[in-house]
Amino acid sequence: MSTTSGIETASVEPLLSLEAITKRFGSFAALSDVSLELRPGEIHCILGENGAGKSTLCNLIFGVHRPDGGAMRFRGVPFQPSGPADALGHGIAMVHQHFSLVPDMTVVDNVLLGRERGVLNRRQCAAQLEKLAVDYGLPLDPDAKIEDLSVGERQRVEIVKCLIRDPSLFVLDEPTAVLLPDEIAALLDVCRRVASSGRAVVLVTHKLAEIKKIADRVTVLRGGRVVATSATPAADIDALVRAMIQGNVEALDSSAASVLGLAPVPRARRDRSAIVKTEALQIDGLTVRDSQGVTRLDNFTLTVDRGEIVGVAGVEGNGQSELTAVLSGMMAATEGRIHLGEAELTGLAPKAITAAGIGIVPEDRHAVGCVTGMSLAENIYLNRLDEFTRFGFLKRSALQREAAAMMQRFDVRARGPAATFSSLSGGNQQKAVLAREITLPNLTCLVAAQPTRGLDVGAVAAVYDHIRAASARGVAILLVSSELDELLSVADRIVVLYRGRIMGACAADPARREDIGAMMAGHAQEHVQGNVHA
Amino acid sequence: MTWELFAVFLGSSIRLATPLLLAGIGEMVSERAGVLNMSIEGMMLTSAFASAVGAWATGDPLIGLLIGIIAVQPVALLQAVLSNTLRANQIVSGIGINILVLGATTLAYREIFGARSRAEIPGLGKIKPPLLGDIPVLGPAVFEQVWLLYLGIALIVLTALVLRYTSIGLAIHAAGAEPKAVDKSGLSVTRIRYGCVLFAGFMASLAGAFLSIGDIHTFTEGMTRGAGYLAIASVIFGKWRVGGTVLACLLFGAATALQFQLPALGVDVPNALLIMLPYLLALLAVGGLVGRQMAPATLGEPFRR
Amino acid sequence: MTALDQTGKAAAPRFRLRPALLVPIAAVGFAALIGLGLIALIGVPVGDAIAAFIDGTVGSAYSIAASINRSIAFALVGFGFVLANRANLTNVGGEGQIAVGGIAATAVALDGHVSGLPLGLAFILPMLAGVVAGALWGAIAAIMKIKAGTNEVISTLLLSFIGVWLLYWCVQSPALLRKPMTSSATLPESLEIPEETKLPLLTGDYSFPLHIGLPIAIVIAVVIAVVLSKTILGLRLRAVGLNPVAANRAGISYARTVIFALAAAGGLGGLAGALMLLGEQYTLKDGFSSGYGFDGLVAGLLARGSVTGVIAAALLFGFMRSGGINMEMVAEVPTALVVVIQGLIVITLAGAALFIERWERK
Repeated sequence: MSTTSGIETASVEPLLSLEAITKRFGSFAALSDVSLELRPGEIHCILGENGAGKSTLCNLIFGVHRPDGGAMRFRGVPFQPSGPADALGHGIAMVHQHFSLVPDMTVVDNVLLGRERGVLNRRQCAAQLEKLAVDYGLPLDPDAKIEDLSVGERQRVEIVKCLIRDPSLFVLDEPTAVLLPDEIAALLDVCRRVASSGRAVVLVTHKLAEIKKIADRVTVLRGGRVVATSATPAADIDALVRAMIQGNVEALDSSAASVLGLAPVPRARRDRSAIVKTEALQIDGLTVRDSQGVTRLDNFTLTVDRGEIVGVAGVEGNGQSELTAVLSGMMAATEGRIHLGEAELTGLAPKAITAAGIGIVPEDRHAVGCVTGMSLAENIYLNRLDEFTRFGFLKRSALQREAAAMMQRFDVRARGPAATFSSLSGGNQQKAVLAREITLPNLTCLVAAQPTRGLDVGAVAAVYDHIRAASARGVAILLVSSELDELLSVADRIVVLYRGRIMGACAADPARREDIGAMMAGHAQEHVQGNVHA
Repeated sequence: MTWELFAVFLGSSIRLATPLLLAGIGEMVSERAGVLNMSIEGMMLTSAFASAVGAWATGDPLIGLLIGIIAVQPVALLQAVLSNTLRANQIVSGIGINILVLGATTLAYREIFGARSRAEIPGLGKIKPPLLGDIPVLGPAVFEQVWLLYLGIALIVLTALVLRYTSIGLAIHAAGAEPKAVDKSGLSVTRIRYGCVLFAGFMASLAGAFLSIGDIHTFTEGMTRGAGYLAIASVIFGKWRVGGTVLACLLFGAATALQFQLPALGVDVPNALLIMLPYLLALLAVGGLVGRQMAPATLGEPFRR
Repeated sequence: MTALDQTGKAAAPRFRLRPALLVPIAAVGFAALIGLGLIALIGVPVGDAIAAFIDGTVGSAYSIAASINRSIAFALVGFGFVLANRANLTNVGGEGQIAVGGIAATAVALDGHVSGLPLGLAFILPMLAGVVAGALWGAIAAIMKIKAGTNEVISTLLLSFIGVWLLYWCVQSPALLRKPMTSSATLPESLEIPEETKLPLLTGDYSFPLHIGLPIAIVIAVVIAVVLSKTILGLRLRAVGLNPVAANRAGISYARTVIFALAAAGGLGGLAGALMLLGEQYTLKDGFSSGYGFDGLVAGLLARGSVTGVIAAALLFGFMRSGGINMEMVAEVPTALVVVIQGLIVITLAGAALFIERWERK
C-alpha cells in the first residue's frame, strides 16, 4: 500500500498505462495528474466517492473525452483515442454506468448496432450470443425487446455487447449499483472469467465488499487525484477507505458507513418510542396499469404509523416509481385508495396532496424534484411561491431572505440563494429538495425515494439525520430504496416489492438480509415470521 | 358514383398524393434519425422552381429534374449543418429556410418569367404499366401516371427494406431512439443524421419536381402551399412507419381529390371547405389518433456527447 | 480585492455590448447587405432602390403612420410568441390567429346592433371579439397538446392554414360575410364596416392615420414585460417552460399554464387581426393577413425573449415592408426581397444561438 501516485514496478508489461493525465471541464479539474497501469489478467478496481472522477477516467480511456494533459500508452504505443470507435478498434470495450441500449430494439439488434455493415445476419449473431451464454453464464433471449427486460438482464446485454467484440481491455463503470445480491455475485464471476482469459478488467465501484472479494489491485481517487494504490486490497481495506473519504471510519455516521459496506449494519435499534400507533398513511389495494395495460403496481396495501419509518425494498423497476408517482399525484391509480389520517387523497392533484401534508423527495431529482434552470431560492420554495406574492407580484427580497435561512438550517452550500440550481453539487441539490419537502408546514408523511443516490458520504449522513429528525417529530416516513443496507439501518420495517407486488414484510433486522434478498429476487415469503411491527 | 368517376377519383387521389408520398418518406427517415425537418416545404419549393426553370431553359424535363435534385442539396446541407453541427433549434431553422426559399423563388421567378407569366413548361411523361394499365376502365384512369410516381414507389419499397434489414436501418433507428448508444457503439450520430437529412432533401426534390414539371407543367409562386407540412403531418399520423405514412399520404391525397370530384358529382359543398379538408384531416390526425410515445425519443434534439 | 477592482467589475456589465444584442444587429446588417447585393444583381440601380425604400418608410406622414400600424400587428404577434415561448411553447400560428381575429371583428362590426352602441363600445366589442376568436384558436392547440401530446408547432401551423381558408370561405360565401351579390362582378369581400366601428384616429386626420391601436399596444407591451419579469405568473410560465414535470409536482398546473400561454398568444394575434381590420382595411378581403403572422413570428424569434426586442424588430419589419412595397412600385424590386432578408435573419440567428449562449456564459 502506498499513498502516493507512484506505480510499483511489475514484471508484466502493462496493457494500458496512463501518465499524469489531467482533464478539466471549464474551470473544474475533474482529474489532475492521474497515473495508473492496467495489466493483462488482472482485475483493477477504481475506488472513489461520487464526483471523485471515476467516470471521467473511464470516458478518457474509451475516447468519449480527451485529456487536457498527460499521455496514455496502449501496448507501449502512444494512444490518443479520437472517439469510441477508435477505442473499440483497439480492443477496448466498456459497460457504462447508464445503459446505452435502444429500448425498442431487440437484443440481437442492439448487439449488431455498429458491428456489421450491409445486410444484417441476425441468425449468425444469435448463435454467437448462445455461445457466449454458455462460456460465461450469461443467458439471454436474442429476440426479446430491451424494454421488456429487467435491469439485470439489460446489463447482461451490455456485457455481451462488449464480450462479442473479444476485447483485450474490459471496463465496467459502477456495474453493480442496480443489481440483486446474487446478480452481483454472478457479475463478479464473469469479471474473474474474463480476466483469467488474459484480458485486463477495470471495475469502477464505491462498494468495499466487491473490492475485498475480487480486486487484484486498487487505485483510490478523491477529488480527481490518485490518493492511494494497493496491490493487496483485502489487507489494506481500512487504509483505502480512509483515503477515499478523507476521514476516520469511526467518525462516520454508522448508517452511512454500513451503506458503504464499511461496517456491519448497526445492531442497536433506534429509539422507537416516537412511533404512535396512529395510522398516518394508509394505502389500500393500490393498482396501477400503464397505457399498454401492463400492471405496474398490483394490489399494494400498506400502513405507515406516525413516527414510523417503513422501507420499500426491491430492485429498481419493480413498481417503486409508480408508487411514488401515485402518492405524489403525478399518476392516476387504476384501483385502490390512499388516506392520510381521515382525509382521502385518492386522485388528488399534486398541489392538493402537498396541502394535505405529504412531502415527496422524488427518485429522479432532475426530472421531478427541481427546475435546474431556476434559482436555488425559487427551487426551495417552488411549491409555496404563493406565500411570496402580493397582488400577483413576487416579493423577491423576502424569498431570498427566507431561502438564505433555509440554506443555513440545512447546510446547503451555494454562492447564495440567487445561484442557479444547476450550479450546485448533487448533494447540495438533494439537501435543498429535502429542505423544501421536510419543512412543509403541516408535514404528516414524507415519501423519500432513493434519497441518497449519487451523494457522497457526508451528504448521505445529513439526509439520514433529517429523515430521523422528522420521524422523531411524529412524521410517518416511507423510504423507497434499492440499497438494502440503507433500509436495514434506517427503517423500522421493510416491505419488498417485486413486479409491482408486495412479496413480504419483516422487521428491518440485519439478520433477515437473506430472506429479503430472496424476496427481492421474486421468491414469495412463505410466512411472515413474527409480528411485522416488532 | 359511376365506375368511371370512381376510377378518375382514385387516379387523381394517387396523383395528388404523390408529392406527399415522396416528401413524407424522406421526412420519415429524417425524423427516425432524430431530425425534425420543418424545411421540407422549402426543399420542395426549391426543387419545384429549379426543375421548372431547368426544364424551361433546356427544353428537357429530365435535365430539369436533375437540376431540381441538385438545387435542393445545398438547402438540405444547410438544414443539416444548422440542426447537427450548430445545434440550432430545428423548428426555427426550418421555418427560416422556408421563408428564405419562398422569398428567393418568388424573386427569381419574377426576374426570369416576369410578374404574372404562366409559361407552359415541358413536363415529365406518363407511363402506363403493362397488365395493370390494361384493366378496362380502371387501367388508364388509375395507373397511367407520371413515371416519377413509379420511381417513387420503387424508392419507398427500397427504403422500407433498408430500414428493416440492413445495418444502416438499425443505425438510423438507434440514432433517433438512443443516440448515446450509437455513439458508444463506434458509429457517428452526426454522420447518420447528416445522411438522413440529405436523403430527405433528395426525396423532397423529387416531390417538388413532381409538383411543377410532373403534374401541372408550370411554376406558380409559393406553389407548395403547405404540402411540406402535410407531409410532416402524414409522418406523425403514420406513426413513423413506412406503411402508415404511405396510407396517411393517400388519405390526404384523396381528401384533396374530393375538391374536384364532389362538384363534378353535383354535390354542393363550399369550395373553401374542400380545400381546407386535407389540413383539417391532418389536424385531426395529429391530435386525436396517435399517442405520444410513438415518436423517436430524441426527435428534434441535437445530439451532444 | 481593491476598490479599483470592484468599480471595474460593477461598471463592466453596464457598458458591455451583450452578444444577445450584438448578434441580431449583425444578422440584420448581414441580411441587408445581401439584399443590396441582390438588388444590384437584378439590375436595378441600388441608389434608386434605396431612395424608393426610404421614401416608402419615412417619406411622408402617411407612410410613417402606415409603417407604424403595420409594426403594431407584428409586435402583438411577437409579444404572443415571446409570452408562449417563456413556457417553452412555439406558437407559429399567428397567420391563422390574425385571420380569425379579423373575421370575428368584421362579423361583430357588421352586426346591426353594434354600431349604435355608446361609449366606444361600437369599436371595443368587435376588438374583443377578435381577441376571443384568436384566443380560442390558440386554445385548440393547447388542448391538443395536453390531451394528445400534439406538438404545438404542427398544430398551430395546420390551424393557420385552416384559418386562412376559413377567411377565404367567409368572403366567398354570401351566406357568411360576403357583401350582397349584385352582379357577377361583385368582389369576394365583405361590406365596409360602419363608421362608428372604425378605430378612432389619434390625430383625427387621414393623412396621418395612426389609430388608438398604438396606445393599446404600448399598454400591452408594458403589461407583458411586467408579467414576465415581476409576477408569479411569469415565474410559473418559466418553471413550466424549464421543467413541466417538476413544476407540476410543485403544484403549478401544466394544463392551465399551457392553455393560458397559447390562448394569450392567440388572443394577441386575434387582436392584431382586429386592429388591422378596424383601423385600416375596413373591409374583409381574402389574404388580408398574408405574411403578417410570419413577420410577427420572426419579430418574436429575433427578440430572444425580450419585449423591447420585439418592439425593435417589429418596427424594423414594419418599415421594411412599407419600404419594400414602395420599392416594388417605384423601382421595380419585388417585395419578395424583403422575405429573403427575413429568412436570412432567422437562419443566421438560429445558427448563432449556440454561439450566443457560449459567449453570454463567459
